[in-house]
Amino acid sequence: MNIQEIKSQRIGDSYYKIDHPTGLTIYVYPKEGYNSAYAIFGTKYGSINTKFSVDDENRITVPDGIAHYLEHKLFESEEGDAFARYAKTGANANAYTSFEKTCYLFSCTDKFDESLEILLDFVQDPYFTAQTVAKEQGIIGQEIKMYDDSPEWRVMFNMLEGMYKNHPVKIDIAGTVETIAEITAEKLYEVYNVFYNLNNMVLCVSGNVTVEQVLRTADKMLKPCEKHSINNYFDEEPYEICEPYVEQNFPVSMPLFNLGFKERADKILDVKKLACTDILLAMIASQTSPLYRELLDNNLINGSFSYELFEGPGYCSVIFGGESRAPKQAAETIKQYISKLKSEGLGKSDFEISKKSVYGDAVSALNSVSSISNAVVDYHFNGNELFSYIDAIADIDFDDVSTRFSEMLDVNNCTLSVVKQTE
Amino acid sequence: MTAINREEIAKGVFFNSVRDNRFKTMKITANLIVPLTKENASANALLCGVLSHSCKAYPDFTELSRKLSSLYGADLGTSVKKIGDNQVLRITASGLDDRYAFDGDSVARELSKLLCNVIFEPNLINDEFPKTDVEQEKRQLLDVIDSEFNDKRIYANSQLVANMCADEVFGIKRYGTADKIKECTEQSLVDTWKNLLKTAKFEIMYVGDSSPDLAEEVFAKAFEGIERQPQAVTTEIARKADSSKHICEEMDLSQSKLVMGFRTGTAIPDKDVNAVRLMCAILGGTANSKLFCNVREKQSLCYYCSSIYDRIKGIITVDSGVEGDNIEKAEQGILNEIEEMKKGNISDFEMEATKMAVINSFYSTNDTVGGIEAWYFSQLFDDRFRTMEEMANEVNAVTKEQVVEAARNITLDTVYVLKNK
Repeated sequence: MNIQEIKSQRIGDSYYKIDHPTGLTIYVYPKEGYNSAYAIFGTKYGSINTKFSVDDENRITVPDGIAHYLEHKLFESEEGDAFARYAKTGANANAYTSFEKTCYLFSCTDKFDESLEILLDFVQDPYFTAQTVAKEQGIIGQEIKMYDDSPEWRVMFNMLEGMYKNHPVKIDIAGTVETIAEITAEKLYEVYNVFYNLNNMVLCVSGNVTVEQVLRTADKMLKPCEKHSINNYFDEEPYEICEPYVEQNFPVSMPLFNLGFKERADKILDVKKLACTDILLAMIASQTSPLYRELLDNNLINGSFSYELFEGPGYCSVIFGGESRAPKQAAETIKQYISKLKSEGLGKSDFEISKKSVYGDAVSALNSVSSISNAVVDYHFNGNELFSYIDAIADIDFDDVSTRFSEMLDVNNCTLSVVKQTE
Repeated sequence: MTAINREEIAKGVFFNSVRDNRFKTMKITANLIVPLTKENASANALLCGVLSHSCKAYPDFTELSRKLSSLYGADLGTSVKKIGDNQVLRITASGLDDRYAFDGDSVARELSKLLCNVIFEPNLINDEFPKTDVEQEKRQLLDVIDSEFNDKRIYANSQLVANMCADEVFGIKRYGTADKIKECTEQSLVDTWKNLLKTAKFEIMYVGDSSPDLAEEVFAKAFEGIERQPQAVTTEIARKADSSKHICEEMDLSQSKLVMGFRTGTAIPDKDVNAVRLMCAILGGTANSKLFCNVREKQSLCYYCSSIYDRIKGIITVDSGVEGDNIEKAEQGILNEIEEMKKGNISDFEMEATKMAVINSFYSTNDTVGGIEAWYFSQLFDDRFRTMEEMANEVNAVTKEQVVEAARNITLDTVYVLKNK
């Protein structure tokens, strides 16, 4: 078994990467002096993986929302549900499904070995019947409705629909009441057997743990998996957006907007491009920027304003958003500012300040066992590594960021989404 | 856990510090605690924003932001909380520990100074705050009040408290009202500021690896020459609801919200607080709680249904998101679970599992800077500080009989429903 230490000279922290013989990749990030441990067992399978094939056999299409539905149902086994088992260890357990992954997690301060055993056991032990599958329609139906009432959720998905013609990232993670009605126990087993193969999964534990401790339970619980090649299919996505403007009326007193710039998404960004992008966005839109000041002075945004890089397999965009009483003007101001920077060039002092700020945020995130575990899992699925990202930030110079800027943020390829009160 | 060191550095001004070398960041917060009043809540909240917008040393918002960013993305933030019948104005500076700075910069020293600058040396011109700063913060605070309505779960909870405690101080919103915010001026806020420096109780909390001595010194010096008349921090407790009221509002939504407010008869520093805490957790505080297992899982009535205990005010709220047609069924389902507890239908497993979950949540907070700060801060309203070990022992000592007794003492006060049309 190959155990590799990954050390950051800069920060002084270390963690370990283990290629387990069963096919699973395991990461252990010990944190000295911590009481708690935080474990994530995740699969590279999310809401966007609805068309796929295994070992080049026939292409399979499954209903929207099935990955999330599976997450809910996996907690049940013939003997009862996993929450009842965790109750005996005191661990705080949860799970989530995102666009490109599904993760099962717990945090605990005592009885770690027992909790890890439960996690590895129930995720490897599916149990679906017609009755248990039918029962979940009600709960998930309510979850979907809760999100239908969330203006933040709606403004984002409306934007994604305006940006993407074919990519399934525009479809709600939980699916719709109609699509989840098509889900059966057989379909759940079908996707489970493809994507919950240990070769497609990762386990990451950080906090009050040792490598030996994790391996002891892993050796006992993991069931070896034969490696298959999984191909995910996404219909070809044009570079261009579909709609420059989308709007929805809603009972809100503060209108919301998302302005999304559609970016090229041929492959996942490497750590250097990622670091350049993070610094660039801070230069453009953080509180230190002339743009933020202009938006504030003209009463176009408030403290809820934010920006992010939104990236995954086959999709990539930069989103600016928040509450605004004049969303169209806010979007216009952002676009004009970016155009101005494109012609006049970026500011060197903005670069120095933003580099320090992005670096400080990345190091600060290493305080938290949940941030560490989630980050390590994300970097793993994207083929990147946490400490090389931090080193990349420290090593980047002004020209790197300028080069990155020249290939992104096309002001003629963005969608503005607005949610506002019915007039 | 790491012990706290507490010193009174001026009348009613306490400097609390926790030294911990496990973290990559430090945090220092000035908590200004005043009685919540209709007259002053809005002005205090607005002032908090204005103070953090600029100061004499950095009179321009962007310059202040750039200073913070160059300190490795340090943060200067404010928040306004309602704790019992008190308004707490929090001004926080946090940033990277000195060990991780590129070239021997001392972030802790700079941030302590900056925090004092914004509190004690604001950007006054002819004894007035700059009009543009005040207008900017006014607009943003009015936006915050409006945006509460955007999130219907938050809105429904807020409506419950406003109705349930309409005749109590606790019914006042933490930001006061929009009208009162609009009344504030560049001049009136100077009086608000001077009044706070004189009458607020100050609880300064420091968590970090570097020595807190410098920060303590800077604060002690800043208070020299300030006349202090700190006000008492108290909360009125309504022990029992004599009758219950139902309030329903209709709106164009997909999902309805049901929120129920109960009086528990118990609040800190009462000795049976932990029995109520456990009772509330067994009812709806974990993924094994009665509400989660029965109302959500077995009856499939809602996506969320949970309960929370405010041990300073002594109330429990149960909130859930349900289908409009199922509101009555869900309400009855929730009341049934409480009835079961009153009858003593609590298993040993529920007792043990919930104790473990509650204690697990205590110990987990010890692993974050914010968690340690929050742990000690919440106890400032109690009779004394307890470490996590002490609190865990107290929770473990609670018996089933005490939990049943706690359940028998709760009374339903108000039911608030936000119904989909």
